[in-house]
Amino acid sequence: MKRKLTVLLCVTLAGCAAMGKIESGEQAVGDRLVVSLDGPWNQFNRGVDVPTWTVEGFTVDRLRFFVGVKDGDPIAKRPKGESEQRPLTFHSTMKAHEVVALFQGLYTQDGSTFTLDRIEPVTFIGESGFKYTYTLLRRSDDVRLSGVGYGAVHNGELTVIDYSAPRLGFFPRYREQIEKMSLGAHLRS
Amino acid sequence: MGRAALADDASPWNPPPRFAPPDAASDEGGLWAMMAHEEQRLRRSQLLIRDAQLRAYLQGVTCKLGGEHCPDIRIYLVRTAWFNASMAPNGMMQVWSGLLLRVDNEAQLAAILGHEIGHYLQRHGLERLKDARSRATFATLLMPLGLAGSAGAFLAAASGFAYTRDQEREADRIGLTLMRNAGYDPREASVIWSNLLDEAAVHTGANLTSNSPMFATHPASAERRETLAQLAGSGGGDLFASEYLLHTTLLQRDLLDDELKRAEFDESIVLLNRLTKRSPERADLLYFRGEAHRLRNQKDDADLAQADFNSALALPQCPPEADRSLGFLHQARGEKAAARASFERYLQAAPEASDAAMIHTYLQELQS
Repeated sequence: MKRKLTVLLCVTLAGCAAMGKIESGEQAVGDRLVVSLDGPWNQFNRGVDVPTWTVEGFTVDRLRFFVGVKDGDPIAKRPKGESEQRPLTFHSTMKAHEVVALFQGLYTQDGSTFTLDRIEPVTFIGESGFKYTYTLLRRSDDVRLSGVGYGAVHNGELTVIDYSAPRLGFFPRYREQIEKMSLGAHLRS
Repeated sequence: MGRAALADDASPWNPPPRFAPPDAASDEGGLWAMMAHEEQRLRRSQLLIRDAQLRAYLQGVTCKLGGEHCPDIRIYLVRTAWFNASMAPNGMMQVWSGLLLRVDNEAQLAAILGHEIGHYLQRHGLERLKDARSRATFATLLMPLGLAGSAGAFLAAASGFAYTRDQEREADRIGLTLMRNAGYDPREASVIWSNLLDEAAVHTGANLTSNSPMFATHPASAERRETLAQLAGSGGGDLFASEYLLHTTLLQRDLLDDELKRAEFDESIVLLNRLTKRSPERADLLYFRGEAHRLRNQKDDADLAQADFNSALALPQCPPEADRSLGFLHQARGEKAAARASFERYLQAAPEASDAAMIHTYLQELQS
């Protein structure tokens, strides 16, 4: 029994170490992006290749920051063992539609189904950018997600903030907060 | 079964009688309960394509092949843009929608379904489940919805449950027999593998099982294709091409959309080259091939895309998005007047499009 409790404690502590707290107020994402938060978030410190935050948990909602993706770089690394798949490479000449197509590719690589609901112009990080909304039928658990993203290219580098959560309940609960945060985001000079 | 026996297609094969459900208290009964549970989940899945007419058609083809086993085989069409089909030992067969895009006629569909029915009739899945490692991976394969992670995780699991070469050969041979008995041209079986190998060839030197769910569980090779062609002999039977196209027409747009969203443009271009050659009158195929070139954007891709969009726009029933894509190409080349004209035609045809506001912005930029 004692051994079981020790193992359980180790597992719990290891899980905690993978998460960090992000307090409300002004916060930096990486070196460049600054956002203002109405409430606290949890940050994944391991197992993700782009800064990823959540309120409800990794399998529920995800806020991802793709900051300063350079011309010729992929928007995210492909999972291990999928090196044969085509890299999702950003080019600074890409239009909004083409950038969203990269994210389609990213989100459907596990067989999930992506539907772009709307794409429209917005000002984001001080640039003429775009906002997109989408529906994702996640293959891993058969859950229908809603998503919203803001993107723009600054000095040839792409920045996108993308949030997705189950369509019922979670997404409507956080949408306003996400949109306010995204519209107020700026890059450090 | 050895190769020599395979080559001798004259040896008789008779299907077994219908299988009785196993005793619930047995190991096999436990597996059946697990499969029944997953089948319940599959029935409720949002990934399932519920088009009643299409499902009835697929079930009808299954019954033409399966004969008296028809009531025991249940076919589920799952919306996933890859080529794959699988059969659980309890008769639950899954067909992924990417397969329907890659099949040209009912005879080719029958070749895949017949092969899977062959596995079922010879109880290959059950044999594999006697192995503990296969049992663990099969649980993953069985659950199209319980798969956590990426396609790579699925492929790794799938390759862990691959049938043996002898089982594959046996299922191939039975599939051909079922095709012949149902009046299909058995030569179409090797055509499918040939087409899939062409698509896979874009990954030079790659391990096929690391790219395709179908290849992960059904090892493919030129030798297999040749053997199928040899066993099919001089053919005979029908293709039922118009029946197939009639029943899958309404799904075509979704299938093509999903294919492009995979962002595997090299594979898609090989596929669409074949489909446009088969059906040169279809504007939608030309539009999607143009999109694959435009999004890949290498070497001559922009020119090839433009040629496809122009050809598509000259045909009836062209998707309005062809004008939008043409606008993007003109815009990238600084051809402002041509870009404006294309975007305006797109908005005229699709004024309520989900990206109309974005296109209006492009038009404003082009005014300056």
